[in-house]
Amino acid sequence: MEQLGQIIILGLLLGGVYALMASGLTLIFGVMHIINVAQGAFLVLAALITWELWKTTGIDPLVTMIVTAPLMFVGGYVVYKLLLERLRDSSPSMTVLLTFGLALVIEGGMGVVTRNVFRSVTPSYFNSSYNIGPFFLPKPQVYGCLAAVAVLGLLYFALTRTWMGRAIRASSQNLDAAQLVGVSATSVAALTFALGASTTGVGGSILSVLFAFFPASHYVWISRLLGIIVLGGMGSLPGAVVGALLLGIAETVTASYISLRWATVVFYLVIMVVLLVRPQGLFGTRLREDVT
Amino acid sequence: MTARFLPSRILPSQHRSVAAAVVALAALIAFPLVAPDDIYRQNVIFQTFLLAVGAISWNVVSGYTGYVSLGQSAFLGVGAYTVAILSLEWGVSPFLLSPLGGIAAALVALVVGFIVMRSRGHAFVIITIALLLLFQTIALNLGSLTGGSNGLTLPLPQWSADFQNFPFYYSMLGLVVLAQIMSMWIRRTKFGTGLVAIREDEAKAAAVGIHVVRYKVLSFMASAVVMGVAGGVYAYYLTFIDPRGMFDILVSVGIVLAVLIGGKGTLWGPVLGAFIVQPLNEATNVYAQGSQTRLVFFGGMLVLVVLFMPDGILPTVSRLLERRRRAHKSVLSIDQERIAQRKPALALSAERAAPNPQQPLLEVRDLTKHFSGLKAVDNCSLAVREGTVTGLIGPNGSGKTTIFNLVTGMMRADGGEIKFAGERIDELHPWERAHRGLSRTYQITRLFKQMSVLENVVAPLPEFRWSHLRAGGISGAEADKAKELLDFVGMAKFAQERADRLSFGQQKLVELAQALMLDPRLILLDEPAGGINPSLIESMADLIRDLKAQGVTFLVVEHNMPFVLGLCDPVTVLARGSKLAEGRPDEIRKDQAVLDAYLGEPEPVPQ
Amino acid sequence: MLTLSGVFAGYGGGNVLQGLDLEVGNGSITCVVGPNGAGKSTVLKAVSGLIKATAGSIELEGRMINSLSCKEILSAGIVQVPQQDALFPSMTIRENILMGGYLLRRDRSLLKKRYDAVAEIIPLLAERPDEKAGNLSGGQRRMIEIGRSLMLDPKLVLLDEPSLGLEPKAVAQVSGLIQLQREQGRTILLVEQNVRLGFKMATHGVIMESGKIRLEGSPAELLDHPEIADLYLGGRMEKSAGPSPAT
Repeated sequence: MEQLGQIIILGLLLGGVYALMASGLTLIFGVMHIINVAQGAFLVLAALITWELWKTTGIDPLVTMIVTAPLMFVGGYVVYKLLLERLRDSSPSMTVLLTFGLALVIEGGMGVVTRNVFRSVTPSYFNSSYNIGPFFLPKPQVYGCLAAVAVLGLLYFALTRTWMGRAIRASSQNLDAAQLVGVSATSVAALTFALGASTTGVGGSILSVLFAFFPASHYVWISRLLGIIVLGGMGSLPGAVVGALLLGIAETVTASYISLRWATVVFYLVIMVVLLVRPQGLFGTRLREDVT
Repeated sequence: MTARFLPSRILPSQHRSVAAAVVALAALIAFPLVAPDDIYRQNVIFQTFLLAVGAISWNVVSGYTGYVSLGQSAFLGVGAYTVAILSLEWGVSPFLLSPLGGIAAALVALVVGFIVMRSRGHAFVIITIALLLLFQTIALNLGSLTGGSNGLTLPLPQWSADFQNFPFYYSMLGLVVLAQIMSMWIRRTKFGTGLVAIREDEAKAAAVGIHVVRYKVLSFMASAVVMGVAGGVYAYYLTFIDPRGMFDILVSVGIVLAVLIGGKGTLWGPVLGAFIVQPLNEATNVYAQGSQTRLVFFGGMLVLVVLFMPDGILPTVSRLLERRRRAHKSVLSIDQERIAQRKPALALSAERAAPNPQQPLLEVRDLTKHFSGLKAVDNCSLAVREGTVTGLIGPNGSGKTTIFNLVTGMMRADGGEIKFAGERIDELHPWERAHRGLSRTYQITRLFKQMSVLENVVAPLPEFRWSHLRAGGISGAEADKAKELLDFVGMAKFAQERADRLSFGQQKLVELAQALMLDPRLILLDEPAGGINPSLIESMADLIRDLKAQGVTFLVVEHNMPFVLGLCDPVTVLARGSKLAEGRPDEIRKDQAVLDAYLGEPEPVPQ
Repeated sequence: MLTLSGVFAGYGGGNVLQGLDLEVGNGSITCVVGPNGAGKSTVLKAVSGLIKATAGSIELEGRMINSLSCKEILSAGIVQVPQQDALFPSMTIRENILMGGYLLRRDRSLLKKRYDAVAEIIPLLAERPDEKAGNLSGGQRRMIEIGRSLMLDPKLVLLDEPSLGLEPKAVAQVSGLIQLQREQGRTILLVEQNVRLGFKMATHGVIMESGKIRLEGSPAELLDHPEIADLYLGGRMEKSAGPSPAT
């Protein structure tokens, strides 16, 4: 029983971090109806940058996010303007192919510039944990989760209290009506993509401490994120949080009771089952009336 | 674009492509004989053949049918592992077992296809990525069967060293030829026309009687089978296979790149693309060391192609040529609405069940449909008697088009029932309703844009027959019937034109011919007189009267009052989602309640 | 206030509007009616910038606005309330109304002033500002949509079938709101399916057919015009035996 409790707590801590990482992806989909398959690659890139900074300056990775977040914001903005803006009227499959190509370029780029090896950031608290009652809470997981929740809170504040945030939410709920009140569709799209990318800046910094990573890790990450937003409902932020917590627990449970290797299979299965049985996930809206 | 390569037209260009291919084939056959020691180049060409097989196969499901997947390499892996496992179990040469690899891949496609092809667009792409990764994980984890990450080692080839790699080279070349023949054959048949129709407009394809579920799954299987066989050969060639190599998403990416560059949906684009991508890939391997650069290359190319050349080489070239040709030929009186010599009588299929005067042909009872709180159709009941041209009128928002959608099966009703010739059709698929004789035209025409007018009219299928799949796309009795129908509506002159070049009125006529192709008992006409000029409106009315005389029943939604009241009898009036009145045109004309419905309530309820 | 001269406009295919001439006077409520396909909605879309006129001119207070973008036309003082689906369902009523003042977002005090003004005439806003817009009934939504359009204190409000899909009681509420605007001197150009209702609210009536204006004038007179039944039902009709329309 205690072991189950421990597993669930770990799952929740993990879920909190996943929620932050998935928030960017679902935000982008909600406004632009684009699935940014490169989101996983952004995460790994941010993790790599964090690692480099830590290696050279020793700065704690959770502090580095102050650098990586704006960096990824700018990067995301540039990517949108250069690549994605042209595809606004293209079919969705084409955009998926494009972002997939981007992911490969980033993966290859990382491999070329640094070596293709596993890395992980190991700050001083790497191996220690808090003991609360019968449970062990590893410090990196706790700090990571707290940081993730804090940033999620900031995101929530930005979305509900600022005009830009309202413009983003309005655009994701009813693009035509948003334009009717004077919101510029292209500005909002670029901003949303940049914002979504910046969440990977934070997520990547956290990732670097909690997981070992190497350039090809982005496949595992995008699978996780896709599973989460599909389950939660593509475009829904509360959905992303709930989906992240549920899948975080599912992953730790599978890893403990079945095997570590089958843990990622959970995400693949969730993607396929949900998209086929209930495409709008838990909190998403039905896109349209489908035939057959 | 795809219309260009049908044998029935532009033969010289088709012959040119085949001639070029034969020459290239001869060169490729000769190469190893001419340069037997150039092992390196033979291997590069072998890899190109493999990519070509993948590209040609993938084009069937993604190019013709429009379902873009990133999971094509899964079939390669399935074939490879099947052959490897069986070869090690039974001690038989992998060459002999490779057809089993194809069968295994086809079976996987059958099962997966039924499940997965219920999704579309980006959902479909994502699912195929997930599937591929899932397969890889399964192969990694089922160590007892697949050897896990240690992989499997196949028996070494037994033939004399003199033959070197020749058997691999020629067998893969043979598979390329086989795949290309299969692809050309599919495109030529009704099956291919059906697939393209699905790509252009899946809902419309379903409505004209194409069994979209079976067609999609079959195309998925077709894209899998040759790939599976190639997997077996490839496994033998490599001698060692492992999950990461056999379920490699980069192989899928290479395939997608090759097809996009060559031209998605074309006959020869995939092959052309393969012969561009693989050598380039090889060049990067040689000149820029490392597998990481290969990633940048593939990813970068994918990005560039999607951004700047999404149609690919062949379509772009053909469009330039087309433009030059069009510049010389003055635009074929396409702007004229003249309907030349129309054949007044049309012999429709004689096997028509005698009309039953007691039972309405179409009966709708208490039909209800909500859209997020709004009741578009509210307990509506109406009936259409056989042999009539029944009008359906009513102000905006009264539910007319929704009823059409419910009757043809584009939407599911929230309540009530629909009966056609006494049989309940609520639960039937759109194509099943079409097979029973229910046809429809649309307010904004939905022709298959990239197909010619003749192909459009031949596309509807009054029933599902396996033999159809084999039959030539435009041939036989159906083609004759289509030509007759085009003649009837006065569009015979435009048979070879691409559908999207027609004017709105001309498209309406072609859509009517399409509807007639199904030998319908009832045709639902959605605003046949809308947006076309007055002389054509007259002709439209004449056409409908002609058809009525031959036993076709019509339900017509229209806003053009003189048209409706002059043509239809009886006329049903809808308001606020249910039936308001019904009767002869002159009765409706004088009905105060009907006028009120159009003009509005005399006095709104005071607050 | 608004002048359309010889306007041709349409969607891709052909032109729906065939050389339209229309004057909307300052402070008037002009109601455009006509059978389907007459081009009523097209007029609104051409004015608000959703579609571009292929020929002719559209002038607001003497200034040509044909070639302006939607956003520029909005800044110039023309707001459109479309036929349906114009709210943000997961946002509160308050946020929906605020979004109407998006262009004014930098001027906090002005925004507040406008918001309070709208809250005065729309009780729903004052009573339940934190209700999610998606939970409202059709009539309530329409009221919020119209209220939102007033946030910019526009020169001209374009209403596209305000009574569409509404229950009679809601229609009365909407009608009341429009009457209120008329009293406050707001200029409104509206398109209506419900001829009698539309003309009841209007100071000036316009009947369109096939992209042109067929009849124009005082709403009361138009309603009694014998050709009206013709237009809608394509047949002759005796003078309406129903209750005479109020002015």
